[in-house]
Amino acid sequence: MSGAVPLLAADRVYKTYRLGRVDVPVLRGASLEVHEGQWVAVLGSSGSGKSTLLHLLGGLDRPDGPERACRAPASGVPVAPAANPGQGVVFRGEPLGTWSETRLDRYRSVSVGFVFQFYHLLPELDVVENVALGAMIRHGRLGYRRRRRELRGRATGLLESFGLGHRLRHRPAELSGGERQRVAIARALINDPAVLLADEPTGNLDRATGGTILDALATHHSASRRTMVLVTHDPEVAARADRVVRLEDGCVVAG
Amino acid sequence: MYQALLTRRYLTHKIMPLLSAGAVMLCVLMVLVVWSVMGGFLDMLLRSGRTLMGDVSVTWPTVGFAHADDLIDRLERDPAVHAATPIIETFGIIHLPDGRASGVWISGIEPSSYSDVTGYASALWWKKLDEPLPRDTGRDDWRLGDPDDMPGFWDQVYRQGLSLTKPDPETGEPRPAAVLGIEVTDFNVREPGGWYTPGQWSIRTESGMRTASQGHFILAHSVTLSVLPLSQGGRAVDLVSRSFPVANELKTGVFEMDQRRVLVPLATLQQMLKMDAAERVETDPDHLAVVIDPETGAERFEPARVVARVPARVTGVLVRAVEGVAPERLKERVREVYAGFAADHRGEVPRSAGVQTWKENQATMVAAVEKETILVLFILGVISVVASALILAIFWSMVNEKTKDIGVLRALGASRAGIAWLWLRYGLVIGLIGSVLGVGLATLMVWYINPIHDWLGRALGVQVWNPEIYYFTLIPNEVDPRHALLVFGCGVFFSVAGALLPAVRAANMDPVRALRFE
Repeated sequence: MSGAVPLLAADRVYKTYRLGRVDVPVLRGASLEVHEGQWVAVLGSSGSGKSTLLHLLGGLDRPDGPERACRAPASGVPVAPAANPGQGVVFRGEPLGTWSETRLDRYRSVSVGFVFQFYHLLPELDVVENVALGAMIRHGRLGYRRRRRELRGRATGLLESFGLGHRLRHRPAELSGGERQRVAIARALINDPAVLLADEPTGNLDRATGGTILDALATHHSASRRTMVLVTHDPEVAARADRVVRLEDGCVVAG
Repeated sequence: MYQALLTRRYLTHKIMPLLSAGAVMLCVLMVLVVWSVMGGFLDMLLRSGRTLMGDVSVTWPTVGFAHADDLIDRLERDPAVHAATPIIETFGIIHLPDGRASGVWISGIEPSSYSDVTGYASALWWKKLDEPLPRDTGRDDWRLGDPDDMPGFWDQVYRQGLSLTKPDPETGEPRPAAVLGIEVTDFNVREPGGWYTPGQWSIRTESGMRTASQGHFILAHSVTLSVLPLSQGGRAVDLVSRSFPVANELKTGVFEMDQRRVLVPLATLQQMLKMDAAERVETDPDHLAVVIDPETGAERFEPARVVARVPARVTGVLVRAVEGVAPERLKERVREVYAGFAADHRGEVPRSAGVQTWKENQATMVAAVEKETILVLFILGVISVVASALILAIFWSMVNEKTKDIGVLRALGASRAGIAWLWLRYGLVIGLIGSVLGVGLATLMVWYINPIHDWLGRALGVQVWNPEIYYFTLIPNEVDPRHALLVFGCGVFFSVAGALLPAVRAANMDPVRALRFE
């Protein structure tokens, strides 16, 4: 790990989900550092905990305490829990675990932008409204009204930069998968977040369309040097990033 | 901001919220229409009751009390009192021209002052009518014109009702007459439109029963009233009967009054009941002396010595308040005036006569209608709660459907409170839309309830409001703005209440689970 303070870090984070009567450990002391301007890909198979890690990094969920230890995948020998439990998720040196819910809401609104595998656009809103939604949440009723023209202009500009200038008034159902994902990326960028968190952004697309999405992300990264964390199960997709981190059984094993 | 946008879009893109608004609208409409009609019915009962009773009555039933003129003078000097009038009320028997007899309440009144205190003049039924009743589309009401050969007939009948007299057919001198409640004789046929026409009935004559081919008009006949006078000590004296020509008939709208009330002049009833002014004479036989007429030499008893004058008695005094004085306030003033009156006539009048407002006097009937109104509103309130539950179910299902959207909104930084407000606001808007439409439609429906009712009657043969049962010609058709406001508020409240639980559920959703929701 680098000596500089990372923009975003996961410091020995644990997460267990309960399915019925069974506890299913998903993250078992995973650690990760993402520095400003880096594009980090988290590579892992299905169920490795990569989406969970992304949710924790984005403040959508909170990590558990260190009840589960990581196992080295090759030996299968359990690693003892850390004597000094980690800080969990840390943003600009501040652990998110100490933040109030209101501050976490603010963090999600201002500092991070999410892109999901299934786009998750709101079907009743048109493309511009979907993109502007994040700005509405961030600025509130009065703030958005005051800056309405500017914010809608920014939404339109982002959409045009992703080649969707001709689709502004269309609804998600009228768009192709690739177009929907580009709208989702524009929505994630509307508040100019410090970090873009993308969860399998090409997972629901064919290879060619996925390629265009990755191209768009790469172009954006080159132009803005925005910090990006992308999780994927596809090594080829991961290869487009500056750095690849491998996640196995809830632990970061390489990268 | 996003809540407003999403509320607008959900409203215009989903059928469920429209169903919710429709449910709210129907509930608001139903409650307001029923409340307006029932409340209007109660108001009409109260107004009609006051027609013959004034605002407050002072009563000492059966035996009555003296010096009513003094009490009335004292009352009319009080600034809260508009006018007061004496009255005698007694049970009696009416003998009808067809030979039937039935029990009635007989009121002895002074027509002039009685009109000042009550709505007597307007309650007289047989008088000239310039405009037909709203439902009299065929202008079939007899009162719309004088008979061809009797110009001024209705005016004359009306004046006779106002004065409670009719001219003696032989001398032309006015003689005491009676005014009967419109339903007393059972001779009048109530038309579906609410007016009366004289029906066919048989007259008992010395040679037997005679049936008219075109119906008899009761105003051309007389009735005999029988009353049982009581002494001042309350002992029964002999039954007294007297014939009265019928001067007019009366319609107050209150069943009990229209069915059982007969009005006659106060002085006549006082005489019949031995309640008129009298002289008390020496009754000791030892003091009766025989004197011889010095001119004729005839013997006769010396006239009895008058030992006291007994003033006339009445059983009550009716009082009307000046404009703006509530009956309850008037009642307090009347109590105070009566206390002074009783103190000045100690031993001659009761120390505390019954002082009641009209509403208290008719408490049983008014309470029945009030309870009925409350019962109906309670049932409708339950229906409103059911509507609220319906909104809850619809919103619950919508929150389910929108689970992913909620996850996305949380991922974009929306707070729990913001998510809750989205759904509450949605409920609020649905409540506002439903309530505005409901109140608007209910107001229109109440305003036009009589034409609608008539149309239903013509088109479907349905007659819900039967004047023969309700004794009002028209269905009450006014909406009290306070009721409308309250129903509107309840409509909005129940909608928001219905949305509350789904809103809390949405706010408490785990965003990660919401995003993974299938």
